[in-house]
Amino acid sequence: METLAINMLNGLSWGMLLFLISMGLTTVFGVLGVLNFAHGALFMLGAYLCMQIMRIVPSFWLGLALGPLLVAALGVVVERFLLRRVYARDVSFQLLLTFAILLVLDDAVRLLWGPAYHVVEAPPLLAGVFPLFGHTYPVYRLFLIVVGPLVGLGLWFFFQFTRWGRIVRAAALDREMAEGIGVRVPLLFTAVFALGAWLAALGGALAAPQQSLAPSMGDRIIIESFIVVVIGGLGSFPGAFVGALFLGLLESFGTVFAGQAQMALPYLLLAVVLLVRPRGFFGREA
Amino acid sequence: MPATFPRRGGPLLWACLGLAALILCPFLLPTYWTMVLTEILIMSLFALSFNLLFGAAGLLSFGQGGFFGLGAFAAALYLQAGGGSVWLALFLGSAAAALAALAVGYLCVRRDEIFFAMLTLGFGMMLYTIAHNWRAVTGGSDGLPLFSLPPLRLPGAAFSLYSPVSLYLFTLAASLLGALLLWQVGRSPFGLILTAVRENKERFAFVGGRVQRVRLLAFVIAGGLAGLAGTLFCFFNSLATPDYLHWTFSAKPALMTILGGSGVFLGPAVGAAVFFLLEQLITQVTESWMIVLGAILIVVVLFFPKGITGLLAARRPRTRSPRP
Amino acid sequence: MSAQPLLQVQDLSHHFGKFQVLSRISLEIPAGALTALIGPNGAGKTTFYNLVSGRFAPSEGRVVFDGRDITGLPAHRVAPLGLVRSFQITNIFPALSVLDNVAVPLLLQHRQGWNFWRPLAREKAIYRLAEAQLERVGLAAAAHRPARELAYGDKRLVEMAIVLAREPKLVLLDEPTAGMNPEETDRMIRLIKTLADTSGTTFCLTEHDMKVVFAVASQIVVLHQGQLLAWGPPERIRNDTAVKRAYLGGSLDA
Repeated sequence: METLAINMLNGLSWGMLLFLISMGLTTVFGVLGVLNFAHGALFMLGAYLCMQIMRIVPSFWLGLALGPLLVAALGVVVERFLLRRVYARDVSFQLLLTFAILLVLDDAVRLLWGPAYHVVEAPPLLAGVFPLFGHTYPVYRLFLIVVGPLVGLGLWFFFQFTRWGRIVRAAALDREMAEGIGVRVPLLFTAVFALGAWLAALGGALAAPQQSLAPSMGDRIIIESFIVVVIGGLGSFPGAFVGALFLGLLESFGTVFAGQAQMALPYLLLAVVLLVRPRGFFGREA
Repeated sequence: MPATFPRRGGPLLWACLGLAALILCPFLLPTYWTMVLTEILIMSLFALSFNLLFGAAGLLSFGQGGFFGLGAFAAALYLQAGGGSVWLALFLGSAAAALAALAVGYLCVRRDEIFFAMLTLGFGMMLYTIAHNWRAVTGGSDGLPLFSLPPLRLPGAAFSLYSPVSLYLFTLAASLLGALLLWQVGRSPFGLILTAVRENKERFAFVGGRVQRVRLLAFVIAGGLAGLAGTLFCFFNSLATPDYLHWTFSAKPALMTILGGSGVFLGPAVGAAVFFLLEQLITQVTESWMIVLGAILIVVVLFFPKGITGLLAARRPRTRSPRP
Repeated sequence: MSAQPLLQVQDLSHHFGKFQVLSRISLEIPAGALTALIGPNGAGKTTFYNLVSGRFAPSEGRVVFDGRDITGLPAHRVAPLGLVRSFQITNIFPALSVLDNVAVPLLLQHRQGWNFWRPLAREKAIYRLAEAQLERVGLAAAAHRPARELAYGDKRLVEMAIVLAREPKLVLLDEPTAGMNPEETDRMIRLIKTLADTSGTTFCLTEHDMKVVFAVASQIVVLHQGQLLAWGPPERIRNDTAVKRAYLGGSLDA
């Protein structure tokens, strides 16, 4: 029973983190039409910047607040000066560009912080443990389970009910129409890309206390968040939620039941979805 | 502006001269350069196979390293098990890679170009994960070293592949075969069909064409040839390592192709040569080779999307008439 | 003489979400009957084509072509059966030569699409057929030019040649004269009429120019707001009260 509960909670906490990160990927994809290969690197950068800030001012909350903002600023620069130039071009070149950015960011992290592992401490408020079925469970993981849906809810609310949110959705559906009614679409695109970067980095900063930081941490994330988007369908937050939850639980229980083969589980899931329902289970078609 | 190449004699003459030069190289150059050329030939084949997907089919694959590495491992396993024929090793490497490409491709062609790119990255990394973790078979992160390389047996003679000259010539023959196959594909009915799908897949479907199947065949051919290149690389390094399957390795043919130009058949080969030279230069200065690579790719994508050969072609005053 | 019509559509309906685009369309196109599909923009003409040609599957209803139920079959399965279409926005292979544009469907038809080892230049029979098709539509002179270089009207002719390449039984033309000047329109209509009379292909076209419609069509289908308003020979349509009312008292003469 305890194993069930613990694995469930592990799966949920990882799943909710994945949800957060995938929201960024699918939003950028849905609005700009760009699948950002560098999304995982932005996640990683968020984690590393959080760590770096904590070296200067030992406050996780500051790192959490500031790190993602810095990455969002980087996102602004990337979109404005690089990505914007290739919107009109063939999709392959957009993909190659984000891939090139991935190469640069990946190696930059390695250059700045070295290839060794780093560790980030959870903040004192959340560093404790929670009694669970005679064992203890880290409070921080419970925190993650709550934070993910909160941010998701906030975003959903933003897109559904606020004026700016609706403008973004309109621009996503019909760029020319939005420009016709006076929306400054290029600015909007920059803002959305920055938002996507912020979400990825936020995920990274949140992930930092519970996993070791290494220059390869972005690799896994980009593939997993992509799998979430494939399962959930394009542009769908409920889809991303379900997909992330499913993947998180699958991986968590997978370690128990499949052992070494556990690493292949996300890919197996991907294969199954592609065979059964290539368009994903939610969301409208691209 | 003076013409860069005299047009008299035509492309066939140039091809023959080029071939002669390639054959004579190892006898005229120091060993170091022979080995450099060997590596360039292998990577050229790898990049040319990538371009079948990118240039001809309009599909971007970030997982070709998976098939390259699979070819290397298949050959290494065969040789480790006592296999004695390098030809068979080549065949096994290509076949294993082609089969894997069939399975992976079947899943990847079900989605459009954007998802295709990410899916190939994903499945390529899946192959990497397997290679990296399956210590018993692949040797894990250490890979599989080749303790012995059987001699190349031809009717009447046997050549040791430990000799750089023999290895070079063998690699030249194999990669030329691969390149020739790709050249034939480009000139075949399937080549026209591939272009049609790239140009307008909707129109293609509405005249009765099956887009997914066409793409799958291209993917299998590309994967098989990547496996061939991987096998040759395994001979060259006497090692098969999981690094070959990582996405950073898959980036290489993409970079070479964009650098050299995807619109010309030999563009990727030119790109491979330039890439290799750049790598040599830059690794002498810094270890952060990937940053420079990424930066170069950004510049090329933004400002020189047609690559080096594209730039050269644009400067030529006369253009070739289209094929009848 | 076969009693069964070439195309038979029964209660064909389609909706996108809550939006009903077509309601219960039932009609027939007999072989050889040049059919004109008319109606104001938004009436559902292109949707009708999309459903019949396999671009998407209808929400309800049946499509029977040449005695075979093809409801919901995807486009690549419908085309080889002999049902092809053109698009409102010309859909060709721009980078290929005009001749190659027509060679593509022929290669597919002769199952040469998988051939990746023999040179294309050897496919002489196919290229002869392709040249013949270009002759039929009057584009033989442009055979080796890249299709993207052609004038708008000629590009539409390329699409016509592509579509006719496999000697189809039924061709659905979506606004074949859209964007053309009077001369080009005239040329196109005469071409369609000639092809309809001399080949075994049945044509169906959507058209806004009523002069053209009444000059060539042997039956007219009128759609309005997703519904079938009337369907029959031109004279009956001309005098149909519902049709007249739908066009707000304006006469059907141009």
